[in-house]
Amino acid sequence: MLAKKDLEKLADLSRMKLKESEEKKLLHDLGSILNHFEELKELDTEKVQPMNGGTFSSNVWREDDSDTRLSGEKSKEEFPATENGYLKVPSVFGE
Amino acid sequence: MDLRRLTITSFNEGLRNKKFSAREITEEFLESIAEKDEEIGAYLSVFGDQSLDTARQVDEKIAAGEEIPELAGVPLALKDNMLVEGTKTTAASKILKDYVASYDATVVKKLKKENVVFLGKTNLDEFAMGGSTENSGFSVTKNPYDKERVPGGSSGGSAAAVAARMALGALGSDTGGSIRQPAAFCGIVGLKPTYGAVSRFGLIAMASSLDQIGPMTKTVEDAEMVFKNICGKDSLDSTSVDYAYEGINSVEDVKKLKIGLPKEYFISGLNKKVESGVSSAVERLKKLGFRFKEISLLYTKYALSTYYIVVPAEVSSNLARFEGIRYGRNSSPDSLRETYLKNRGEGFGAEVGRRILLGTFVLSAGYCDAYYAKAQKVRRLIKEDFDRAFEEVDVILTPVTPAPAFKIGEKVNNPLQMYLEDIFTIPGNLAGIPSLSLPVKKYEPEGGELPVGFQLMGRYFEENKILAVGKLYENN
Repeated sequence: MLAKKDLEKLADLSRMKLKESEEKKLLHDLGSILNHFEELKELDTEKVQPMNGGTFSSNVWREDDSDTRLSGEKSKEEFPATENGYLKVPSVFGE
Repeated sequence: MDLRRLTITSFNEGLRNKKFSAREITEEFLESIAEKDEEIGAYLSVFGDQSLDTARQVDEKIAAGEEIPELAGVPLALKDNMLVEGTKTTAASKILKDYVASYDATVVKKLKKENVVFLGKTNLDEFAMGGSTENSGFSVTKNPYDKERVPGGSSGGSAAAVAARMALGALGSDTGGSIRQPAAFCGIVGLKPTYGAVSRFGLIAMASSLDQIGPMTKTVEDAEMVFKNICGKDSLDSTSVDYAYEGINSVEDVKKLKIGLPKEYFISGLNKKVESGVSSAVERLKKLGFRFKEISLLYTKYALSTYYIVVPAEVSSNLARFEGIRYGRNSSPDSLRETYLKNRGEGFGAEVGRRILLGTFVLSAGYCDAYYAKAQKVRRLIKEDFDRAFEEVDVILTPVTPAPAFKIGEKVNNPLQMYLEDIFTIPGNLAGIPSLSLPVKKYEPEGGELPVGFQLMGRYFEENKILAVGKLYENN
């Protein structure tokens, strides 16, 4: 079952900082949920094809036309930080 | 005007016959919201002037003798995970508390074309994850029938708004029962359409292989009217299909439909009120001339585990986009990594965090085959269960929930208990079939009785059959 260090690893992979106080309850909750999943082991699914999604459509094509729905200006309006007309983001390098 | 009696259908009649104006009714609904919503908490935002503007335009069209669309002027509420250009859309998450949508969801665009009056955006469990609306990052919604109880979820705000006469109808979204369960808890009608029937473009995605948008209304007739105006192919949602809804008008034809009762849904743990309510619905349908057959959906028991593997897996990838850069930001000067960790750690509530972690786990190397791949295979078995059943019967009737609305706080700290609320609604989503929730009888919030609903499931894209049975039921 899930150990404290597994939970910390998952939180890091998910990029979520957990509070120390949350960890105990999370371990307990995730443990009981994973335990519930054990029932699936009863089923022999070796010859069953997985159902990968909800749709029965495949290869949905469209014409290769450009289609701009949102102007550059409009999309910038909702961006939290801009400078001189550019989108401003935290620096990516230097870690 | 008595808002209690008003339905979408009767509104349309009254408007055409000039019994009232769209503006008058919109004003009444806005007053009703101002009066009641402080206590109920159905809405996260109310549009006000914007709603009155649309209503005025409808009235002008009528005065000018123009033809109006059938949903013109109808005051509807929208679950706050659907985008309306220029207005706040939060999905009830703190991480989106300041997000203003820059475009319309396809369903919104379609309803705007119909001149629908949007009253506001309703509360939900954060990112539609939950069955009680208690997981909202902002407020708790109360059940209009008993304010100590939950309205259900995740479309609890929409259900409470319709039940408390603060909207004539609403849109909700349903991934595992989020339209049908709150509809049942609040004594209204809710339709989860076939996967692919309604475009999800502009719906904030939770689990993309399951999410569907659908109507929540007072009557089945109303649900049909809204549904036929929102369904159909949309190039912006590649899972949507070309689909023009056609209702069944002949009562004789409807009565020929054979209804199946799956024994796996009539379990011993069923609440007595639900049991007697659903049996009374079956008896009434028998009297109307419907034939019933006991059927079996063998893999029902495994639906819950399957769903709670598939959903978190999809959640963990869908919600990666909320990284604290694009939608509201709380920058950390230290590093990009710190910005992610901080925004996501603080921005997501407990249930969302739990599902992201669970999803990351079931998709991780070494566990993916045992959990995610296994669940996808069991999902196939559940779908094939329905395929077989629909060779024998046309419609399947079941309870919607194991019990009526529960108390606020009763299950919120026990996620597995909360998940069990969805056992009867989840299989329909996993298979992708349409499913309707409707009250077993007429309820009034003042009546002092908690509503009970029943569910009608149909074959792919046979919404017309379940709606026809539902209409016959409510009219007799």
